[in-house]
Amino acid sequence: MTAAADILMHPASFRDPAGFVFLLDGRLYRQVNPCYAGSYDRLMQSGLYDALTRDGLLIPHSEEQALTARYPDAYRILQPRPVDRLSYAAEWSPAQLRDAALLTLRLQSLAMDHGMSLKDAIPNNVQFIDGKPVFLDTLSFGRYDPSEPWIAYRQFCENFLFPLYIHFYARTGTHPFAAAWPEGVPAATAGRLLPWRSRWNAGAWLHVHLQARIGGRQSGGGQHRHNFSAAKLLRLVEHLRTLTERLAMPAAGDSAWSRYYDETVPGEDYIRDKERIFRRFLDRTGSGVALDLGCNDGWFARILAEHGRPVIAVDADWQCVDRLYRKGISAILPLCVDLANPTPACGFRNAERAAFTDRMRSDLVVALALVHHLALGRNIPLPLIADGFQQLTRRHLIVEFVPATDRKAMQLAARKDPALLEGYDSGNFEAAFGRYFRLDERETVAGTERVLYLMTKRQP
Amino acid sequence: MNGLLLYIDPGSGSYLVQVIIAAILGGAFWIKKFWRRIRSFFTRGKKEP
Repeated sequence: MTAAADILMHPASFRDPAGFVFLLDGRLYRQVNPCYAGSYDRLMQSGLYDALTRDGLLIPHSEEQALTARYPDAYRILQPRPVDRLSYAAEWSPAQLRDAALLTLRLQSLAMDHGMSLKDAIPNNVQFIDGKPVFLDTLSFGRYDPSEPWIAYRQFCENFLFPLYIHFYARTGTHPFAAAWPEGVPAATAGRLLPWRSRWNAGAWLHVHLQARIGGRQSGGGQHRHNFSAAKLLRLVEHLRTLTERLAMPAAGDSAWSRYYDETVPGEDYIRDKERIFRRFLDRTGSGVALDLGCNDGWFARILAEHGRPVIAVDADWQCVDRLYRKGISAILPLCVDLANPTPACGFRNAERAAFTDRMRSDLVVALALVHHLALGRNIPLPLIADGFQQLTRRHLIVEFVPATDRKAMQLAARKDPALLEGYDSGNFEAAFGRYFRLDERETVAGTERVLYLMTKRQP
Repeated sequence: MNGLLLYIDPGSGSYLVQVIIAAILGGAFWIKKFWRRIRSFFTRGKKEP
């Protein structure tokens, strides 16, 4: 099924023959193809759509009658409620992946109550809106045949369950696995990555190790009757749910950045004075979405949220992100992103999922106690850091400069080539950022040499 | 109908895994139920702790 000539098909919307997403006059629409008509009608008429949208589990849409009439190839044209910012499993903490998985399982059991079943189970169908996971793909619901097992079971395992098992046993984030295996970690790989003792865990044995052994087998074509039943599938879904709930471990308090503000900074006076300056700068920046780079425990992200801004809070430390997500602040979208290596554009033609830097452009960028990490820890020159920040902000930047004489900066530079420190001073910092920004204000945090700047981007 | 539904390849092995897991979960379910019945036979009349 092809799109009409005057519409722009979304570059990620081509896999499912049931329909596709397209852009028209800057708005996002979803076409339902005639081959999906039966399932779509069942979704809408069985009460499933109403039940899911009432509880905020599925994105609501409106049927566009005028547009449907314009495109004879379409069974229906829908306009889903727009989503402001897309994020992906390659940026989620384990608790976020867990909640997206639990949503998927809840949808599957609710769908079965209405004679339907999810025909795919991928993280890309889920987005975080106001702090909660919401299912986006209206066309994922197929007619349910109780004699068949769950068609999306393997996808669910490879995209949700296996990364969570690896997280559980290796105490690592799930996002690097989602990035490395965008279509899911194969069972055989997951089985080899888990420690031997995981075979004593019934859930890991059944879903990972058993599936690694026999899951890849193909019986030579043809249709089988499987003698499955709704009761069996519901038990399987319930089993997956209890396993998934247990797998996201609460982050322990000993990661690189956790308790940073509690213990390792120059003290409480520093944080109090920094907050005073930050709030003063913030009052001059208007409104709009804020991007907090190196958000750590989210102290300043929370202040941004209190100011009524939607906040994207990113940190390279997944434990910080996990903890911030678990606080459940609806205005904050926490993401695992390493600024020295932000999420690239992915998928076919690099067009299915946009790069972090293209997706997260914001009205205000906040980068506190971050520049010295990028400059001295990751060897990124100040002019490149300034360029990186100006790409991300449309208007304002609040940035902190930590001079080389600061204890933290000295620790970072201690075992490095002294040449790295050459040119790392406030003069060069201001020159580098002055190229893209007007320096509106600067104020030194009391009792330290650290300086906070408020800058406005020069408009070309 | 199935041809329409199957736009992802579930792998017939993945169906076999589900059949086996469902059988094991079903077995566990009946054992649990049976065990509860035995326990309630001996604790009949007594108050649940």
